[in-house]
Amino acid sequence: MQTAMKSPKTRRFRWIATGVLATLGVAAAGVALNVAGVFGSGSVKGYTPPEASIARITADQYRTIITDAFGPAIDLGGRFEPDLRIDGLLSVGASSVSVTAAGMEQYDTMADAIAEQVVVNMANRQVMLPCEPASANAPDDACAAEFLAAAGELLHRRPLSKDELDAYVAAVRHAATALDDFYAGLSMSLSAMLSSPHFLFRVPVVEPDPDRKGGYRLDAWSKASRLSFFLWNSAPDRRLLEAAGNGELHTRRGLARQVERMMASPRIEGGVRAFFSDMLQFDKMESLSKDGTIFPQFSRREVQDAQEQTLRTLVDLLLTREGDYRDIFTTKETFLTPSLAAIYRVPVAHDGPNGGVEEWVPFEFPADDPRAGVLTHVSFTALHSPAGRSSPTDRGKALREIMMCQNVPPPPPDVEFNLVQDTDDPTHKTVRERLLAHATVPSCAGCHKIMDPMGLALENFDGAGEYRVNENGVPIDTTGELDGVQFANPAGLGEAVRNNPAIPQCLVQRLTAYAFGNTPSSGQKAFIRELQNHFERSGYRLPAVMKKLALSPEFYQAAPPSAHAASATVTAALN
Amino acid sequence: MKRATSIIRVQTPEEVLMQKTIIEPGARQSVAAVSATRLVKSLGLGVSLVMVGVAPAAALETRSYVVSYFAQQFSNEDGDCPGGINPEDERGQTAVILRTLGYSASQVATLMAGWDKGGEGKSKVNDILARRAVIDGQPVNPMTHPEAVPDPGLKFVSSKHAFGFNLDGKDGPDGFIDPHTGEAGVDHQLFRALGCNQNFRGSWTSPSAYGEWVWVQLRDSQPAWLLTLKGEDLSKDGAVTVRIERALEHLRSNLNGTPRRHMTYRADPDPRSINEFRGVIKDGVLTITEHKPFSILWNGLSAPVLNLKNTHLRIRVEPDGSLDGLLGGYQPWRELYFAFSHNGIVGDRPGLWHAMKKAADADPDPQTGQNLSISASYRISAVPAFVVPVDHADTFSAR
Repeated sequence: MQTAMKSPKTRRFRWIATGVLATLGVAAAGVALNVAGVFGSGSVKGYTPPEASIARITADQYRTIITDAFGPAIDLGGRFEPDLRIDGLLSVGASSVSVTAAGMEQYDTMADAIAEQVVVNMANRQVMLPCEPASANAPDDACAAEFLAAAGELLHRRPLSKDELDAYVAAVRHAATALDDFYAGLSMSLSAMLSSPHFLFRVPVVEPDPDRKGGYRLDAWSKASRLSFFLWNSAPDRRLLEAAGNGELHTRRGLARQVERMMASPRIEGGVRAFFSDMLQFDKMESLSKDGTIFPQFSRREVQDAQEQTLRTLVDLLLTREGDYRDIFTTKETFLTPSLAAIYRVPVAHDGPNGGVEEWVPFEFPADDPRAGVLTHVSFTALHSPAGRSSPTDRGKALREIMMCQNVPPPPPDVEFNLVQDTDDPTHKTVRERLLAHATVPSCAGCHKIMDPMGLALENFDGAGEYRVNENGVPIDTTGELDGVQFANPAGLGEAVRNNPAIPQCLVQRLTAYAFGNTPSSGQKAFIRELQNHFERSGYRLPAVMKKLALSPEFYQAAPPSAHAASATVTAALN
Repeated sequence: MKRATSIIRVQTPEEVLMQKTIIEPGARQSVAAVSATRLVKSLGLGVSLVMVGVAPAAALETRSYVVSYFAQQFSNEDGDCPGGINPEDERGQTAVILRTLGYSASQVATLMAGWDKGGEGKSKVNDILARRAVIDGQPVNPMTHPEAVPDPGLKFVSSKHAFGFNLDGKDGPDGFIDPHTGEAGVDHQLFRALGCNQNFRGSWTSPSAYGEWVWVQLRDSQPAWLLTLKGEDLSKDGAVTVRIERALEHLRSNLNGTPRRHMTYRADPDPRSINEFRGVIKDGVLTITEHKPFSILWNGLSAPVLNLKNTHLRIRVEPDGSLDGLLGGYQPWRELYFAFSHNGIVGDRPGLWHAMKKAADADPDPQTGQNLSISASYRISAVPAFVVPVDHADTFSAR
């Protein structure tokens, strides 16, 4: 039996590499890939559609799609290759990554595990399969086709072509015959579908745009995908696919109907969480660790809670209450667990039996408390600190780059850091004193001036984000300055950041890059400016600018296709 | 979308006036107030826990802590057991027990040779041990009937020093001298009775194996103990009140096992575990000035309830804001024995019964004259924590 199991697997791999590729080749004829386009312009004057690129789905998107398609109980049973951050976003880097051989093995392992749980597990298949085969020990093309067509539409984000479906059903037939087991055969094909580049990559397909002579747009299925990954960070659901299939999505009213529906869905929270997780670089939390002798209170639990605190705060302020985006830097309201509250040195009681699971509790810092806004969250102060100490420079740099979309040059190669890093220095007891001494070096001073005054205001938080008022017995001076605005403490920094015009502009820039999956091009400047203006007019409401973006024709326009580039890129992606 | 749970927020001045109590961890700060304003937010009944920087003028400063270590304070020194340590290995103790049961030296040698060979020889000795407690001619479990076991005569500590309190105000031959305070007449007969058993030997800086074992077993599961100080200015000498009570949650620890500071604990409203004493801070050392009984629910590994009479407490605020000191008094020794009896202590456990019985120094039985309590002192350490007082406990149930 083991031998028999190996054989179809081996065959299946070859089949993926040949049959599906052949199928892809057909589809790829209309795929637009990595080609700079200069065709046409949208409703915004001077707008030039950006490159429509293939993008590998991120680890989060993979998880979400599987959950959406097969339920939350499915254990993926594998690891993902690291995603790549470009211009501050993983979603932009996703169009620049391929799959290594080791990565393909992981995808294959996960595909096998998922398929087994969905199809071979008797309890699951009774729920997930729409039909029962005539015999569990023999092929049943009709039942296989019914299941695979439905699963394929969700996983490939479009209906399978007849050739594709026939190939998947044929594979079931062969495997079921060899194994005398219909479900094992079905599992093989589902696994192959999950290893397909059409699942693992978002492959935009373009077509001539009837509204713009000579211009191109995403086809309905690609349009549905772009919209769904933007708003939900997942594949389109059946209603969105229906709208794509019946042409509704290509009408202004139909698109509006779908956008309204999707933004009213609870799943919009997943989309907002995904965007901010990407923008705030929470993927780095996975590898964040602190020196346990210095920060013994900082464990994986605090890492996870720290992200969750910030995401809950953002969702509450921006989605639930549709608040002003800029207020994320000043809000006193947040959510805490008892463990996280101990780091902030505030009281939050566990509500439940001894040893029970900690729950999240809304919490509001007092009005005169220096703790305010996401910059004072552990997710910011700890993430942007070295393992054993705080770093005003790192925090200032992160603020400039992440929140204000500004670039800070790297330090000179010959810079001497010893003075800054010596936290036991008896002469310079606080970070401010050490940085002042360090900044006497002219080659360092320039950059430190644009980072340190902001970061020093966050010195009330040590390298693990724990609140403190003294360092080495010396009261911490948290005064600082941001672009000419003076402040006295972290709350003052938050206020200064809130009122800095770069803040809302950066948000729109990041949101646009995230939605398109590429770095904003010069041809998109006017469009982004219009979005920024809309954001300002809306009172800096995130849902308003998301909706505006989702309804914009520009969001779905594309550069013209290149069949040659398409086949080359698909092959490269699979290599 | 709606907010589905409770919210903790800043209270209004009106609410400040209505506040019932004050809690704040041990860090030196102005008084923080905690009110119990119940809020209703969209879908859920809410609760508020409020902190403000300034409390009403008449309010007392309050600092609260969670007990981060508690165990008998046994501090041995070289030569404090002139007769040697009571046998700590199973074989050695077995041979001693056989002698106390009346076997001659040569009989013991023969029996132990059989023990060494194992099999029937070992079974024979084990059978003797299992039947050594006899009541009305019938063998009974020696662990649960230690009185029916002949006293093996465990050796006592004979040193001059022990950490603790002079509970009876006298300085007799059994009195120790406290190494820290120099006080004479320190009553710590529990140390005298048990201190020559390896499990109980320790020092100020290195706790006994038994104490450490019990603490480690309990700290992550047993409800924590809370300690709250209240006074006009806790940074200065003056009168204070000390409240020691149980929490609803266990002590929370850091990655490295150290106690986590500034966690929030709810006080257990169970009156069996609430203790409050008047005390005084002098030269940075807090002592209690009323010596009422002390009672707090504990655990079967140590004693189901820690009961003390003539309670004494001496505790100091350390530079890092933690507390460290001693809690002492007269403790019922039989409760301790039955914790020892099932704890896997190496050595002759029924012998501990007899040792404590002989060393007991308080609370004589009116009919037999046998002292029912034994003087003891416990090391107690604590770190700053937030405490939700008993009279607010209901407000913290959001469901």
